[in-house]
Amino acid sequence: MTTVLVNLAGLVLMGAIVWWFWLSESGDAGTQHDHH
Amino acid sequence: MAEAEMETLVPALSITGASCQGCAKKIRAALEPLTGSTDRVEVDLENQTVALPADTDLADAAQRVTDAGYPAEPLWQPALSVSGATCQGCARKIRNALEPLTGAPERTHVDLEKQTILLMPGIDRNDAAERVTEAGYPARPLNDEEPVEPEQPEQETNRTHKTPEHDETPEADLPAPASNDDQVQLSVTGATCASCVATIEKALMSVKGVTGAHMNLADNTATATGDADPDALVQAVESAGYGASVIEDPDAADEQKQAQDRKQYRDMMIKMAVSLGLGIGLMAYGMGFGSMMISDANQLTWINLGILTFAVMVVTGGHFYVGAAKAFRHHNANMDTLIALGTGTAWLYSMVVSLFPDVFPDMARHVYFEASAMIIGLINLGQALELRAKGKTSEAVRRLLDLRAKTARVIRDGEEQDIPVEQVRKGDQIRVRPGEKLPVDGIIVDGSTRIDESMLTGEPMPVNKASGDEVSAGTLNTHGSIVYEATRVGSETALAQIIRLVKKAQGSKPAIGRLADRISAVFVPSVMLIAVVTALAWFNFGPDPRVVHMMVAATTVLIIACPCALGLATPMSVIVGVGKAAEYGALIRQGDALQTAGKLDLVILDKTGTITEGHPAVTHVHAAEGDQAELLALAAGLEQHSEHPLAEAILERAKSDGAAKRSVTGFEALNGKGVQGELDGEPLRLGNRRWLEGVGIDLSDLDSAARTITDEAGTPLFLSRGNRALGVIGVADAIKQDSEAAIRRLHDAGIRVMMVTGDVQATAEAIARKAGIDDIRAEVLPEDKAAIVEEMRRKGHTVAMVGDGINDAPALAAADVGFAIGTGTDVAIESAAITLMRGSLHGVADAIQISRATVRNIHQNLFGAFIYNTLGIPIAAGVLYPVWGVLMSPILAGAAMSLSSVTVVTNANRLRLFKPRHESETQEGN
Repeated sequence: MTTVLVNLAGLVLMGAIVWWFWLSESGDAGTQHDHH
Repeated sequence: MAEAEMETLVPALSITGASCQGCAKKIRAALEPLTGSTDRVEVDLENQTVALPADTDLADAAQRVTDAGYPAEPLWQPALSVSGATCQGCARKIRNALEPLTGAPERTHVDLEKQTILLMPGIDRNDAAERVTEAGYPARPLNDEEPVEPEQPEQETNRTHKTPEHDETPEADLPAPASNDDQVQLSVTGATCASCVATIEKALMSVKGVTGAHMNLADNTATATGDADPDALVQAVESAGYGASVIEDPDAADEQKQAQDRKQYRDMMIKMAVSLGLGIGLMAYGMGFGSMMISDANQLTWINLGILTFAVMVVTGGHFYVGAAKAFRHHNANMDTLIALGTGTAWLYSMVVSLFPDVFPDMARHVYFEASAMIIGLINLGQALELRAKGKTSEAVRRLLDLRAKTARVIRDGEEQDIPVEQVRKGDQIRVRPGEKLPVDGIIVDGSTRIDESMLTGEPMPVNKASGDEVSAGTLNTHGSIVYEATRVGSETALAQIIRLVKKAQGSKPAIGRLADRISAVFVPSVMLIAVVTALAWFNFGPDPRVVHMMVAATTVLIIACPCALGLATPMSVIVGVGKAAEYGALIRQGDALQTAGKLDLVILDKTGTITEGHPAVTHVHAAEGDQAELLALAAGLEQHSEHPLAEAILERAKSDGAAKRSVTGFEALNGKGVQGELDGEPLRLGNRRWLEGVGIDLSDLDSAARTITDEAGTPLFLSRGNRALGVIGVADAIKQDSEAAIRRLHDAGIRVMMVTGDVQATAEAIARKAGIDDIRAEVLPEDKAAIVEEMRRKGHTVAMVGDGINDAPALAAADVGFAIGTGTDVAIESAAITLMRGSLHGVADAIQISRATVRNIHQNLFGAFIYNTLGIPIAAGVLYPVWGVLMSPILAGAAMSLSSVTVVTNANRLRLFKPRHESETQEGN
């Protein structure tokens, strides 16, 4: 159970990082570079 | 076809004179080459508009319709100026952001090249600008009368519109500041890496009225161009997470910055001592007296120590957390983010272990408070050392600033008085005594002296100056007392211009640096992902205690991966390189020129004034009877009545040889032949062979001397008295003494040398032979020089053109790198990418060698920074563990990170010791 939870949390965290820094609209790094 | 029918066509042109279907057909046909099909053009005869696909080039379309006989204008107007939109993906985002206003994404046209958004009339531009800015592309509304390309100056009518520069200095993605006059300079604190640079530039661009922004990490200044409120600029930078203050007086700013740096250095050292002291203390306690493992006996102690650590982290490393939080709010990640996450994770884990040890397996009840404290201490130490080393790199500018005199001895109303240099006005007469520095530029009106101009031109020998000669501020009067009239004061002096230029060039970034910036902008979030992956890998596959390993590895990855070395790699070397070049009298205008100059493989030289002195001089004096002084005295006696340039050369030589002019009567200049007069009743003639032989004088004895002169591209002038040939004088535009040696240096650097000249082939060949030039183009008109430069570039050469800044301007501009060569400070220093203050070609070789050394230095820095990260991250993640059972400690990672920045800065400083190889050394080297 703990293993599943930790892995799930890790994946969610990764998703959040990708979303916040690359995909969300005012991302500085993201807006400039996601499509290059 | 189906696709065309489905496509939304939007009204794009307004037309006049289209009255029938025949007209509509003509317009469709005219636009077919643009749209690919007549079906993609819709002509509305009633409203007199043409609808086109959204991606059509409207200017081109309007032109085609106008050419077809229906005057047309783009219906859309440039409505917003935008920054940071670099590709079609950005355009799509902007179109989507404006959809609520325009009704359809197709109704927004994004011109990526001009960084402009075109909209239909009637759309609220302020609202649109807000939406685009919110979408991540700082935008501002344009007024209709504002010109669109290439930069939008402000609407104020009293503003002087300067030529924008970002066409020639492609600074990152944002336009560079346009001119010095419209700029606000800010001193910025807290910027540590390339991500900070991007954030600050964006923050400045978002301020209303700003047309350009540039952040220089190496000297921590930001420059905003345009008509913006300085307070708003400060606020924008502060809200982005950095400190900022306006630099009111650029002259005082340097001293202010030094004082600030000293204070910051002291602060950082204190913070370092506190946090490192705590870290070491905790470690000693844990290892010596107590244990790093939580037990019932020490639980309370560790909780208290944890709180103490927290307090120290906040006090000594608070700026990292604040910076990280602000960057995060702006969807940004920078070096602070990594430090904050790394130290925060270690502290939080330790605190949870201290508070709830029972939740963790026995082996995992380890605390890492010392790691958090020590990492912050080490990074503070690294930054303090970096700050100190940074100060040294801008020595070149400080050296130039030190050249300025503080006071001037002005003669007003017949009285001499010392006044501050700021109060000197144009036209003031200034006395300068031996050993004093000249306060402003001017022209000598009384006295003569020798002036040491080495600080400006790199020319080591003091130059003789007398009445009528120009002198420059910052040079040193070594010999006599002079009085001179001020012609340029304050910021107009050559010295002030040089300082400005060097500072600007030091802040500019060559292409290679922009690449590093782009990489580091995506780098930090990527590292965060790697840290999570590392943590999961240790959790799933690692040995026990898994939680501890997971936390240690992730923390270490975050700490070691900091891109600060990457952010410093280029600007540090550019600052040193540009400063070093200035020391040798080569003023580099932009970082790009520095990079290109390192790659040159062909140097094209203008002849007159570049390889040669630029004015005729006597090169040979051959007297048939051996008395050279007498020959010169007679020739000078004749020529003193002439105004021909050749006459000047002879008079000058006679003067320097101490030959007294003989008194000649009945002077007469014969066009195309020479000059004649009478001496003691005998005719005295000086002129060309044909004329003298025509009047029956035998010149055969002088044949070999004359041949030597013509072989060396000189003009032989024969002198006769009565019927006797007295001798021959060779006059030529002499090759500069050091041209040959400088060209040899270029050859040694693997560069071909070509000469272009308007002279005839034979003269050009003679010069080329003497100077060691590989290739010549003779009888070239000045306007054709640029074409030759183009031709050589097309053949694949990286070409430098060296010429004077005025006549050769088009050729200088056509070359990959233009070198304007001038003697002293009279050369227009803005006319080329690189300006040589000294009239010697050695300057070209020096500049190329310095450029090569700088680019090499940048490569070393970038290589070092990349290698450090590419090796550091996997080791931190634990790839060595399965083999050797080694897992790097976060403390070691902190030390390594600080070391990497210090290494980069130290390596850039190494460039300060670089000396271009001169002739003697080159020969030794061979």
